[in-house]
Amino acid sequence: MAGEDATVQLEKRNEEPLNYRDGNMSSQWKLNGNNLTNTSMVINPTSNSMVESLSCSSDSMADSFAPPIWNQPIIWQSLGYCDMNVKNNASTSNTLGNGTSIFGPVRSNAMLKGSTFLPDFPVMLPPSLPHFPADSGFIERAARFSCFGGGNFVDMMSPSESLNPYTGDSLEAFMGNGSKSLPAMQSQRHEINAIECSKEVSLPVELGTEGSLIKNDKMIENFPSSHDEAKYGIGVSAHESDEAKFSGSGFQEELDDAAGESSAKGLGSKKRKRTGQGTQINVNNGGRQLATESAKDQAEIQQQGDQNQALSKPGGNRDKSGSQGSDLPKEEYIHVRARRGQATNSHSLAERVRREKLSERMKFLQDLVPGCSKVTGKAVMLDEIINYVQSLQQQVEFLSMKLATVNPWLDFNIGGLVAKDLQTGTIQAVLPGLGSSSVPLQGSVNPQFSTVGGRLRESTSQVHCAWEDELHNIIQMGFNSNEPLNSQNLSGSPRLGHMKTEH
Amino acid sequence: MKARMGNSMFLKHEFLKKWIKGLHIYSNFKKDMSILERKKAIKLSADVAIASTRNASTRWSRTVMANISKNETNKNKILVEQVFSDSGVIKKKASSGLMACRNRIKSKKILRRSHITQIRARKMGPHAVKASFIAKKLVKNRTQVLKNLVPGGENMDEISLIKETLDYIISLRVQVDVMRRLASAAEHSTKSL
Repeated sequence: MAGEDATVQLEKRNEEPLNYRDGNMSSQWKLNGNNLTNTSMVINPTSNSMVESLSCSSDSMADSFAPPIWNQPIIWQSLGYCDMNVKNNASTSNTLGNGTSIFGPVRSNAMLKGSTFLPDFPVMLPPSLPHFPADSGFIERAARFSCFGGGNFVDMMSPSESLNPYTGDSLEAFMGNGSKSLPAMQSQRHEINAIECSKEVSLPVELGTEGSLIKNDKMIENFPSSHDEAKYGIGVSAHESDEAKFSGSGFQEELDDAAGESSAKGLGSKKRKRTGQGTQINVNNGGRQLATESAKDQAEIQQQGDQNQALSKPGGNRDKSGSQGSDLPKEEYIHVRARRGQATNSHSLAERVRREKLSERMKFLQDLVPGCSKVTGKAVMLDEIINYVQSLQQQVEFLSMKLATVNPWLDFNIGGLVAKDLQTGTIQAVLPGLGSSSVPLQGSVNPQFSTVGGRLRESTSQVHCAWEDELHNIIQMGFNSNEPLNSQNLSGSPRLGHMKTEH
Repeated sequence: MKARMGNSMFLKHEFLKKWIKGLHIYSNFKKDMSILERKKAIKLSADVAIASTRNASTRWSRTVMANISKNETNKNKILVEQVFSDSGVIKKKASSGLMACRNRIKSKKILRRSHITQIRARKMGPHAVKASFIAKKLVKNRTQVLKNLVPGGENMDEISLIKETLDYIISLRVQVDVMRRLASAAEHSTKSL
């Protein structure tokens, strides 16, 4: 009977791509919702049928129409989503299970719910899973959403300090895309957001971030002026063509492409970029893109990067010197001019500067923390950073334990180690100075030092002599000064001063 | 980044020197130690060494030094003072209190601002609040965790926290790298013995 329903509805569905049934659906949804955790990471074979149905290829779906556990989880994973909005969707998912029993008028609703669900997938959460109307509109919206995720990632990189969440923006954008019933202005904004995130259009991800800025109530003042909206309009028309393209092709590939490209875009444009211009985007700039923006924009922003402490706007504002700590005892003022189309409120300018500083730092962190290049978004980045720091600390503990067991004397016979490893070259670069410096410490030098050295001398006499020479060579080569030979002198502050500037 | 690479080599040298020095001092103090004591000594001298490479210019290094001098016994204090012979540290310790105050004030401002945001967000509508609110909360939670992880990070605002984390990560990496090499070298040497 389910199969019959499927066939019956398949015909209906050719107009409306999604297989949408009432009673079966809801129960199946709930079932699938429960299964989602298991299947979200795996391509459910039933989801393939869903894909087919989505692409309107009709009737490969037979009785085995199972509620579509959709490929979306995969997409989200490729996007590198993490647990974006677990709690959020947990609450909204309940409505999904119950409310989507009616197909037609609920299309927008389904879009809504689908949108709220989308972030959920990587987290494997929602108790119920709706069937997404697989019409072309949905496909493009989903694609947009995935792009938008990438776009919003950028925004997450440099969000406002109120941490405008990507999910919030994307959700709202998505909802705006899905249901035209939203209030007109809001939907416009949503549309703008959606359009921005479209990968097909050459619109920069920046638009997405700008759009997401809209969402942030703090940033309302920064909402682009009508001038920019006109540019967004250009994007809209450009996007329309993409939609047609979307609907035509296979759904899955599109989404995957979207995911890949959006993540690539997220990669390329980590920092939020102001889109003064319209269709052209500089996706690949780093933190200094402000220069390019100002080239196109009318206003300029002069920043000194990390050294900038305080911000002085036209009105003069609170100084941020304290945030830099001891790096710059004097307070320097950044002169910031409002970008074109942005509010000149001193607060917003200060916040913008702050955001940009933050995003710059996050960029550095991305370079440092392995595996962070794809993921942009404050919460996720912070997560990665936390994991990394924790793992480093644990490594220190573990290694110190290991050293304690390996070497019962606590005097590491560095000379011996160096001699040994000079052959292998492992510690060569690290320990040469120590090899010489440990010699003066005759008092506390490991008694084994001589024995080890002696043994080494027996086995590799030539190496030992060569070692001394090597050491000296290395010292002269690698070291800045000869003073490290004296282990008493450890201040070396003039050299250490160099390190402060490394970041 | 390239500057950083060159500097990291230098950092490693410095760290190793200081660390070895600390270890020597330790071994002078106490001849026989249990494994745990040894491990603690190793870790302690490593921490002191890596913190001292920063020359008290960063918050976390100052906090590490302060914690060590404060919590530990006499021997560690002497160790700290010997290894970290830079008098600038002590001066900076005094100023760190002031810094903490300033940062606390900053944090309060931020807190107040975020409260205002929340109130405004709540007025907007259920959808906006839910998504953004929860995401903000997520970030806030994680920031808090990070603050707990990075020594001395509790009172800092976000920007400086990230900066401190950067520095801390670099130093930790140096520490881990040198320790690992030393451990492997020691293993090789003991294997060959």
